[in-house]
Amino acid sequence: MAEASGRAGPSLRYFCTAGRGLEPFLLREVRARLGATQVEYVSGKVFFTTNSELSKLKTLKSGERLFLLLKKHAPISLSSNKGKVFHEIQKLVIEDPRCWLDIVSKWKHLHGNKVKQGNISKENPKSLKRKSEEEISIITKKQKREQILETVSDECHMEEQKKTVVLETNNDMDLLSENKTFPEETSESRIEKSVESNKDSFSFRVSCRCSGTIAKVFTSQEVGRVLGITLIKQLGWKADLRNPDLELFVHLNDIYSVVGIPIFRLPLATREYIQTAGLRSTVAWAMASLAEISAGAFVLDPMCGLGTILLEAAKEWPNVHYLGADINDSQLQGAHENIKSAGLMDKIELLKASVIALPLPSESVDIVISDIPFGKKFKITKDIKLLPNILREMERVLHVGGTVVLLVSQDLHKHIGGCISNCVESDTSLNATSDNKNGAAVVKDLNPKEKNGSPRSISSSIQGVETEHFNNKITCFGSLAVVESYGVSLGKTDAFIYKYRKIPAAGMQ
Amino acid sequence: MKLLTHNMLTSHVRGVRPGGGFPLRIQATEVKVNNVDFNQEFVARMIPKVEWGALLEAAESLGHLSDLPHQLPPEYENNEDFLRKVHHVLLEVEVMEGILKCPDSGREFPITKGIPNMLLSEEEET
Repeated sequence: MAEASGRAGPSLRYFCTAGRGLEPFLLREVRARLGATQVEYVSGKVFFTTNSELSKLKTLKSGERLFLLLKKHAPISLSSNKGKVFHEIQKLVIEDPRCWLDIVSKWKHLHGNKVKQGNISKENPKSLKRKSEEEISIITKKQKREQILETVSDECHMEEQKKTVVLETNNDMDLLSENKTFPEETSESRIEKSVESNKDSFSFRVSCRCSGTIAKVFTSQEVGRVLGITLIKQLGWKADLRNPDLELFVHLNDIYSVVGIPIFRLPLATREYIQTAGLRSTVAWAMASLAEISAGAFVLDPMCGLGTILLEAAKEWPNVHYLGADINDSQLQGAHENIKSAGLMDKIELLKASVIALPLPSESVDIVISDIPFGKKFKITKDIKLLPNILREMERVLHVGGTVVLLVSQDLHKHIGGCISNCVESDTSLNATSDNKNGAAVVKDLNPKEKNGSPRSISSSIQGVETEHFNNKITCFGSLAVVESYGVSLGKTDAFIYKYRKIPAAGMQ
Repeated sequence: MKLLTHNMLTSHVRGVRPGGGFPLRIQATEVKVNNVDFNQEFVARMIPKVEWGALLEAAESLGHLSDLPHQLPPEYENNEDFLRKVHHVLLEVEVMEGILKCPDSGREFPITKGIPNMLLSEEEET
């Protein structure tokens, strides 16, 4: 582990959650951006070590929530004796209380020892996040599904959110039976309290999640309660459900027992520079990261909507000419507002144009990135017939060797499979199989989930199994050859990121 | 609409001869000049992608030709003076209101609040 240098802090261990399908991107990113070491992916979390400063950590683009690792243990051993299990949970605190205090002081140090109010991340009051992960402002909740990502309400400063916190925590008052007086305290006294408090007195809130076997026996609420009480007794901390100094996040499942402290109040996906979000920023960034954007490139999003993809790309790769096109005035207006508030007016230009009739010469664009809107909010209708025209026009304007990165809904994905194999049939100069079944099979293999059914083993997609499939069968649309593909979750729906490259048309047309 | 973008646009009206839709003639009623940070590498990389004649023509029609040469100077990549002039014309001059006219068909595409409307009606589409 690197020694603490003048500017970077001490090496600390973190874990970061990621939306399903984005794990390989996050793994790549922590290494590339933070020089992270000891990087590992276990059951929905990427664990890593780095000495990066807070401001650098904040620039992670493909992760959901970042936590300072407090404890990572083998799973709690279950026995029929409930008391025994509670004891196991208590042991998390009791066996090494110094570890807790130690990590807390590291967390404070990371945040420059400032009071929690208004120091960590600026909130954008106008942001309307597309609700792709369930955001629950609750302390504990019984989990039924493994993959729900929980975001504890961070917007305590905002009026509406405050009400939500109070409402939902009313039920949980018995969680901390010994401390019923807290809700009455105002935020001013909260600050005073934190300022006055020494290292030993600290206010906290536990957010607990149980999944797997343990969830069948205990509620997250019960676990949270046990832990809360143990912390109060052992460390003299105080509980505060509304505006604690510290949040603790506990996740118990069949694979591990993890405790962490969230680094930021808002999810990483909430970008300060995006006013009105369209596509989830993490997915948009991931798409841009696949597109091979280099300095001096000309990048087009011919169905740009609110411009999220272009915004993410322009922030990361600024020395590039970006052009967004859309047929809808209100979308263009929204994109314009977004671009303006992000300060990217010099980088991104807009155009009112149709994706099936682009006012651009052939082979004039280096990169096309787009979120194809069909089949997400609405059922696919006749629009699907336009798909070949859309792909054809994208292909036309693209330079040979250029890349196309598309986000395609699950419904549309099935149709694309059809498109691709259809074109393969008529294409004799390419060494490809021509029956529908093969085309569909290739596409299907891309999503490892369909192989094992249950929680995907991530290792196969990390190693880029998808790419292997395409070596043998060139799956093409015209001269667009699929390079790789990733199944991702958009929260309520699933989608696929496709990457194509325009290959030289060998003696055709 | 900056001139860098204008340099990429072509008319795609049905019946236009190949290449006849470029470059679009600009009739500007409102032009804005912005201050954009100069990035030498970016400008140097843009130059080979740009249709030089069309850029000069467009700049001149807006009265921002300044003293851009008709021919690209040799080894322009290191000629900061030249690159700064190109930077100004490509990125700092912006047409906010006006019309883009197809040189072949005469079809007019309006520019409103800096955004050109290139939508064609069904009859016009190729």
